[in-house]
Amino acid sequence: MQIRAQIAMVLNLDKCIGCHTCSVTCKNVWTSRKGVEYAWFNNVETKPGIGYPDDWENQEKWKGGWKLDKEKLKPRMGNKTGIMKHIFANPNMPFIDDYYEPFTFNYSILHKGSKFKTPPSARPYSILTGKPMEKIEKSANWEDNLGGSFEKRSREKNFDEVQKEIYGEFENSFMMYLPRLCEHCLNPTCVAACPSGAIYKREEDGIVLIDQSRCRGWRMCVSACPYKKIYFNWETQKSEKCTFCYPKIEVGEPTICSESCVGRIRYIGVLLYDADKILEAASSKNETDLYNEHLKLFLDPNDPEIIKEAEKQGIAHNVLEAAKNSPVYKMAIDWKVAFPLHPEYRTLPMVWYVPPLSPVVNAAESGKIGINGILPDVDDLRIPNKYLANMFTAGDEAPVKDALKRMLAMRAYMRSKTVDKEVNTSVLENTGLTPEETEKMYELMAIANYNDRYVIPTSHREYAKDAFGYKASCGFSDNGGCGNDKLKNLFGGL
Amino acid sequence: MENYINNLLFTYFPHIAFAVFWFGLITRFIVANKSIQAKSTQILAKDGVRKGNNLFHYGIIIVFFGHFTLFLPEEVYHIVMSTETKRMIALIFGTSFGIVTFIGMLMLFRRRLSNERVRFASSFHDYFILILLIVEAGLGLASVVTTANGTVSEYAALGEWAQKIITFQPNAGDVIEGHSILYKIHFTIGLVIFMIFPYTKLMHILVLPIAYFLRSSYQLIRRRV
Repeated sequence: MQIRAQIAMVLNLDKCIGCHTCSVTCKNVWTSRKGVEYAWFNNVETKPGIGYPDDWENQEKWKGGWKLDKEKLKPRMGNKTGIMKHIFANPNMPFIDDYYEPFTFNYSILHKGSKFKTPPSARPYSILTGKPMEKIEKSANWEDNLGGSFEKRSREKNFDEVQKEIYGEFENSFMMYLPRLCEHCLNPTCVAACPSGAIYKREEDGIVLIDQSRCRGWRMCVSACPYKKIYFNWETQKSEKCTFCYPKIEVGEPTICSESCVGRIRYIGVLLYDADKILEAASSKNETDLYNEHLKLFLDPNDPEIIKEAEKQGIAHNVLEAAKNSPVYKMAIDWKVAFPLHPEYRTLPMVWYVPPLSPVVNAAESGKIGINGILPDVDDLRIPNKYLANMFTAGDEAPVKDALKRMLAMRAYMRSKTVDKEVNTSVLENTGLTPEETEKMYELMAIANYNDRYVIPTSHREYAKDAFGYKASCGFSDNGGCGNDKLKNLFGGL
Repeated sequence: MENYINNLLFTYFPHIAFAVFWFGLITRFIVANKSIQAKSTQILAKDGVRKGNNLFHYGIIIVFFGHFTLFLPEEVYHIVMSTETKRMIALIFGTSFGIVTFIGMLMLFRRRLSNERVRFASSFHDYFILILLIVEAGLGLASVVTTANGTVSEYAALGEWAQKIITFQPNAGDVIEGHSILYKIHFTIGLVIFMIFPYTKLMHILVLPIAYFLRSSYQLIRRRV
């Protein structure tokens, strides 16, 4: 058993209001530079929709993630030889138009231009060509709040095996928000596909990073990542990705997207897992087994045997303490209300999602009586279970239904306690929850205090590099990251 | 005077070029390692980028390594073939893959010029290297005709010259003094390419990640140092 710690995240979609504060703060901190205008390390999608970049969930098209080939796990885009033979021109790489053509507005004309015959306007112009654009056809969040036609949006992958036609009708339409960032997978395909070995997973906290000085711009990672969360900087011509704000994590602070989340939907905590079992779990035969196999990797942070072994293997004491109080462990493993995004990609993602509850539809017509007369049947919820299951459990509806049941039961229980002033424990039947646990769940998921949401162990001072010399410098300094340091040497900069 | 220029270009210049080459190569690896990378505009536009790139790269790799046979001394290759046969093989491979390379380069050049985004992202450097390579490949293809029409000993002299250069022999240039101007321009530009190589984006050739095949597993974990 090889114990490793991972800093993981849970996003409670039940509370996401789609305000994009996470995306905007992330953009300001990490990608407000030339070359990555189109890149959003964090973006929020409205589902149903084909997303950003176009149709990213369709791996028959983009060839991201892993596949089983005669029971052996290999990247869907090919084994090492398969990847290397395409090194001169990657056949599975999205073009910038699959994201969108980055644009800005010519504001200076408003105060510098001469008299206008017509009311003045700032026209958009393309950052790629420097020329005015007649019409903006696309942007990072083009489908916001069900923008665009259902016909186009419903082409997305999660509608597989769902009778989708009826959801195009106004009465039956539904939507949810899906904030997306790098999943910091346990079995990342980007790392596997990088021929230069520039992408790596940090041993101490599992954050996946691209070493900018070793990235040679072969761009295999862009297509390997099934979440399309690696972006090619067209200016520096190297790849970049979400860093999980590691400089903040190291000092025990949450990532910028979490810190700024107004809905308090994000949770960050430590998970302990057995690294020896990763390959076995990722190679599960049936796609529907992957969720359960993924769960089996995690180790109980309260088990004295595990603690002893982890200490022996050199995992820091404060990491083990944080693991005991991990909100991620509670939601993903104890209560099983949080799920990995698309486990069928076999990357074992480590950003987890609590599925959203939705209003009850046609309860009267169907004549069904809810559980205990109080709880609605989860099958009557507006968002089809199959749709959620296609997103979170490779199509297996049972775990998603159980999670939704628990969340409904928690609401009913707390309503009885605070509104009726009469505790009704019967709503908890068949959910496997005890009243104490339900109240803990309520505390964490509904109240969501800062200190409960973020349990992040600081990294150790004695391991830290002396960073004094880097003070006031910028993270990505290539080609005018901040300040203009072009042409530094005889090789033309960098 | 002609003899002086010939001597300068084909006896001394190769050594100057290689001195500059080695200096740049070593300093670049040490002081500007981060800047050694493939420069790709693939993401910006389709426009035949895949076809052009594959034709160009696979073509030029074969052509490039084909040139190394010039360093084989006669005594060595005579074990398996005559100079006549070697010339024939060189002509066939050189022509076919030379054409492949040339077509690929023209496609890439057309893309760089005609696509607005790629043109906007291109620098003098990009055009300079591309044009230099196109001219060099064009001269190489043209000199195929000269080789085919010339005598076997003329062909053998090309190898002799190359061998004399790398073994630091005096008066190496004399060997090819009477040769066609096509060869001479081809050699000179070739040497110029070598000379400027470490200062350009061509350096990505040297970081071709062959080590990927040696990696024991797919995953990489970095320990805190």
